[in-house]
Amino acid sequence: MTRARIESALPWLALAVVGVGLPLLDDSYLGVIAQRAFIYWILCAGLNLVVGYAGQIAIGWVAMLTLGAYTTAVLTAGTVAEAWNPYLGLLAGCVLSAVFGLIVGLPALRLRTFYFAMTTLGFATIVTQVALAWRSVTGGGVGTPGPVFPWPFDPGWGFYYLCFLLAALATWMTANIADSRFGRALVAIRDAEVAAEASGIAKPKLLATVFVFAGALGGLAGGLFSSLQSYITPDAFTFDLSVLFFIAILIGGRGSILGPLLGTVILTILPEFAAPLVAWSTFLYAALLLAIVLLIPGGIADLLDFKNRRPLEQHREITPRPELLEQVLGHGGKASMLRLKGIELHFGGVRAIDGLDLDIRSGEVHGLIGPNGSGKTTTLNVISGYYTPSEGAAELNGVPFPLRAAHTRAGYRIARTFQTPRLIGAASVLQNVMIGGTIDGAATFAEAVLTLPRHRRDERHLKDAARLALAAIGLEQLADVRADRLQHSELRFVEIARALMLRPTFLLLDEPAAGLSAEEIRRLGALIKAISRAGTAVLLVEHHADLIFDICDRVTVLNLGKVLAAGTPEEIRSHREVVSAYLGA
Amino acid sequence: MSIKRRQVLAGSAAVGAASLASGLAAPAIAANEPLKIGYLPALTGPSSSTGIGITRGTELAVKEINDAGGINGRKIEMIVRDTQSDPTKAVNAVAELTQRQKASIIWGPLNSGESLAATPLIARDKVPMLHPCWVDELIDVKKYPMAFRLAPTASQIGAGANRYIVQVLKKKKVALIGDTTGYGTASVNTYLPMLKAMGAEVVYSGNVDAANPDLKPDMLRMQSGGAEAIMPWSVNAGFLARICNTRAAMGWDVPICGQTTLGSGQTKALLEKPENWNKVYANNFRAVCFNKDGKLPARAEEFVGRLKTAKVDMGDTLLWWIAMGYDGAKLIADTVKAAGDKATDVVAYWNKLKGWPGVYGTITFTPEQHNGFQDDEVIMCEVNSLKDGAFNIAPGYSS
Amino acid sequence: MWESIASYGLAVGAVYAMTGITYNVMYSASRVFSFTAGMLGMLGGVLGALFIARWGLPVIVGFLLVLACGALIGVVTELVTVRPVLKSIEQHLYVLSTLAFALMVQQLVAIKWGTDAQPFPRLIPIGEGLLDQKFWLPLLACALTMGGLEFLYRRTLVGRAFLAIAEDSYAARALGLPEQHLRMASYALAGVIGALAGFTGAEMLLAFFGNQSILNFYGFVPVALGGMGSNRGAVIGGLVLGVFQQAANFLVGGIFASVAVFVVFIIVLLLRPEGLAGASLARRV
Repeated sequence: MTRARIESALPWLALAVVGVGLPLLDDSYLGVIAQRAFIYWILCAGLNLVVGYAGQIAIGWVAMLTLGAYTTAVLTAGTVAEAWNPYLGLLAGCVLSAVFGLIVGLPALRLRTFYFAMTTLGFATIVTQVALAWRSVTGGGVGTPGPVFPWPFDPGWGFYYLCFLLAALATWMTANIADSRFGRALVAIRDAEVAAEASGIAKPKLLATVFVFAGALGGLAGGLFSSLQSYITPDAFTFDLSVLFFIAILIGGRGSILGPLLGTVILTILPEFAAPLVAWSTFLYAALLLAIVLLIPGGIADLLDFKNRRPLEQHREITPRPELLEQVLGHGGKASMLRLKGIELHFGGVRAIDGLDLDIRSGEVHGLIGPNGSGKTTTLNVISGYYTPSEGAAELNGVPFPLRAAHTRAGYRIARTFQTPRLIGAASVLQNVMIGGTIDGAATFAEAVLTLPRHRRDERHLKDAARLALAAIGLEQLADVRADRLQHSELRFVEIARALMLRPTFLLLDEPAAGLSAEEIRRLGALIKAISRAGTAVLLVEHHADLIFDICDRVTVLNLGKVLAAGTPEEIRSHREVVSAYLGA
Repeated sequence: MSIKRRQVLAGSAAVGAASLASGLAAPAIAANEPLKIGYLPALTGPSSSTGIGITRGTELAVKEINDAGGINGRKIEMIVRDTQSDPTKAVNAVAELTQRQKASIIWGPLNSGESLAATPLIARDKVPMLHPCWVDELIDVKKYPMAFRLAPTASQIGAGANRYIVQVLKKKKVALIGDTTGYGTASVNTYLPMLKAMGAEVVYSGNVDAANPDLKPDMLRMQSGGAEAIMPWSVNAGFLARICNTRAAMGWDVPICGQTTLGSGQTKALLEKPENWNKVYANNFRAVCFNKDGKLPARAEEFVGRLKTAKVDMGDTLLWWIAMGYDGAKLIADTVKAAGDKATDVVAYWNKLKGWPGVYGTITFTPEQHNGFQDDEVIMCEVNSLKDGAFNIAPGYSS
Repeated sequence: MWESIASYGLAVGAVYAMTGITYNVMYSASRVFSFTAGMLGMLGGVLGALFIARWGLPVIVGFLLVLACGALIGVVTELVTVRPVLKSIEQHLYVLSTLAFALMVQQLVAIKWGTDAQPFPRLIPIGEGLLDQKFWLPLLACALTMGGLEFLYRRTLVGRAFLAIAEDSYAARALGLPEQHLRMASYALAGVIGALAGFTGAEMLLAFFGNQSILNFYGFVPVALGGMGSNRGAVIGGLVLGVFQQAANFLVGGIFASVAVFVVFIIVLLLRPEGLAGASLARRV
């Protein structure tokens, strides 16, 4: 455990040593380049959360740099009012850019990827145009002088240390977010949005927070930029610069802090190696991006991921330990019931569900079977809140229960798995399972940024609970492995572990046995039964008749959206219509 | 167009290599170390047309001096860093030139946007700086005591154009238009009050994006305002050509009088009809224009001869750019010859410089005035008289 | 004033419309939003100036050569940036690969051709003033493109095959349609249309590397507003955009015109993310 810690801390230590020790070389040219790298990284650290973690293609983020730079410069120069203290000017730049980060980011909630990318580009152009046009404030094309910070951060090595300290701070803060439930939630939204919703992650609030944070960092970088340049004009904020930021993060690899940091440093330094390269720098960046996308989509982070190159054990078995379930689920023993009455759901002319009544009770495994297209998964989706029925209602313990807003289900302790496992391939198994417990975190975003005690406690509890859940389903030895290296059957069990993190009152399983071997199905069955006996109400949609009849306490059969039959497994097995429509003789 | 750039880059590499080689060949005594001059042109990027022309002159000067043995036996090593018309690259380049290369003097940057960022840094590094940019704010004897300008200021340029329109052509209603770059906006800002002070009425003033393909809306507004002359301020050939073309398309017969680039080969190439270049007057400089007898002043005549011998291309650029580039390098060389290359000596020498005979202009500095160009040397020329990169002085001047 | 707004606005609008159609054709063939539409338009102008003005080729030869280059570049785009990443389910990768490719080409042009706008030769010496061929040529090209595409999609087998792979590529493949070849052909077609847009518009926009960014954005606006995949929407959107932009130029001046366009774009998009004529997003779960 400690060795892994030292291993992961090593690159940071190396960077810190280089950063602190660079002035000893007494080469101001290197100092200027380094300051530029620090400043660009401060912006990229924030943008990394937006692009690398949240997966939003915000190409025009240079607008934040422009806003921060002009705000700080104009306020400090005293053009509009009394000259401000440069540190206050810097703060003002952060605040303004944070606001605009939100404004630019909000369309992401409504627009598709490419559309959003275009709007960020348009916004960046607008900001530059406004800077040009608003002569009385920004100086228009002539520009405005940048702030000079007082001792000990005066121009030269003093300012270098300011940039270094702020870059280190930005790195620390974003690393804290990355390693928190917020960071995991961002990646979940990016790669498995539907599953994220089911785990209770509210996309709008989280994205808005991240955009504000990234905007603030961009503004901070802008203020420092204006000081480094000593004089800013609109033509310093080029599209090329925006492209540099964006490409640096992608070269570094999504979902990593170290990768984009190295990417930013490399791209800042690259043109300086040979004077002729300067003219070709953007071409090289683009070529590098193309190469990365085609050859190593995971970027530098992928290259550095030695941990996941270690070969996995070949013949792995999943050995659930049902005895741990009591501890995992921790039910108080209260019995609950979810009742659906007269549900109807129409898609245009298709009646996907045509009058459905269903009860799910604690301590019971309720099977839902029927031919393809009979509405089984649709029923799960209605309970999960992805579809709102046209008719009918539901009750939870006698109280009317709304059938909408998928991200609120987790609050009601309704958990589910999906027909095709929806996991985050790039994250580890443990991280995937921890996503299931997101809503139980108490710490706020700010506490996570500063890694305050409540956040650390949250993380500890989450991690312990996740390990326990993995142990219960029998996969704790694969906890640190990247999820996309797992076999299909293991992925299904991991999804169950994630669902268990909610300590669900109701567990909805969508064909969990698909693709499993006979022995695995047997173990799955035992696990599901144990889960229900521990107090959870289980709704099991399945095609494997043996599994259904083996473990279900009650079975409902659907056909063409209607209930064909409902009762105990014995009743169903011999029901004439069920046999002819579905089971066969 | 593109070939020239590569030639320039190859040329500067060759000059650098040649001077380095010749420097190596000489015995390794400290006094014979090459003189390092940092040069910051924009050879690529949107504002590179002036850089290319100026670089030809600079390279010629360096070649002539080095061929003749250098300065007191020392060869000039011109360390070129392309700023790419980008202030951020200019800042990086300044740091490299002053700190790592330890250049003694900086010549450039050649564009105002880059100079605005570079000047404070060069001043901080206490390196003497000579540049030909026009924006007024760039020279300030208190803030930047080591910065000197050998070209006219924007105010002098504007005054020259304003004098021609208001006093020579006697037009009272003027339309003032610039592009949206730093230079364009600064120009319009500065010249507006100057015109008013001269008694002119500015019926239109505005800035338009140089890439905008349609200038008709703005020119119609000028026409309806009753403008009797159009004064454009931009270094973008496309923008200026569109103004000429639109004036012709509107059938509007008013003089166009403004930025030097109105007369460049690039602008000419973008005209729809050659007649669109009639009644267009651009800033130029007495020392490099054909006078009433159709002859260049002696110094310029002799310079053109040398350019032709050295086979320097003048067809797609302007004589005064080449001349200015030549003067910049020559002035630096003459300074080092007379006073050595220590920063304080250079600055002291410049502060006392009187009537230095450049091809482009006669330069005088004082400790209070670091702008070296003389007011009356700024005149207007008639652009359709373009021949070998030089023009006739515009009609109407008394002398 | 209004004549100028109409002639100029419609002409530029037609260029935007054709660029929008380029986006649509590439999207239909691959479900990929490609950043190369603006690039094709820019190359149409630059290559046209190169062949006709620089190399002195006759106008017709130059024109056909430009279209051929457009097709070739379209095919290269498909091979290099689309095919390799289509296998991956990660949608963001397509956006990135096409972006990278488009940037590389733009930078190459900036360095080799120059960053100043170069003159574009007069194509057909007819028309005076507002009826000059530089105004109605793009409109003509746009109409022919629309007509040609309608004919292609509705009357020819190849066209219907294009529609098939756009609708459901798995089913199309199961039916034996050569999906890869059809996609490549679609991209070649998109290349031709994009180059045509840039070529016919270059008398107004000049041969300028910066046209790529301009056409990328203003060519996308009609698609976003008209609905991705709808060519009619793109044409109407493009013409409306062109006229709106020109009117704004006249009434409020250059800088505020682009702000106006952008603000309208954002508002419409936020109110109707799938465009005014597009279909709602499909089933997610």
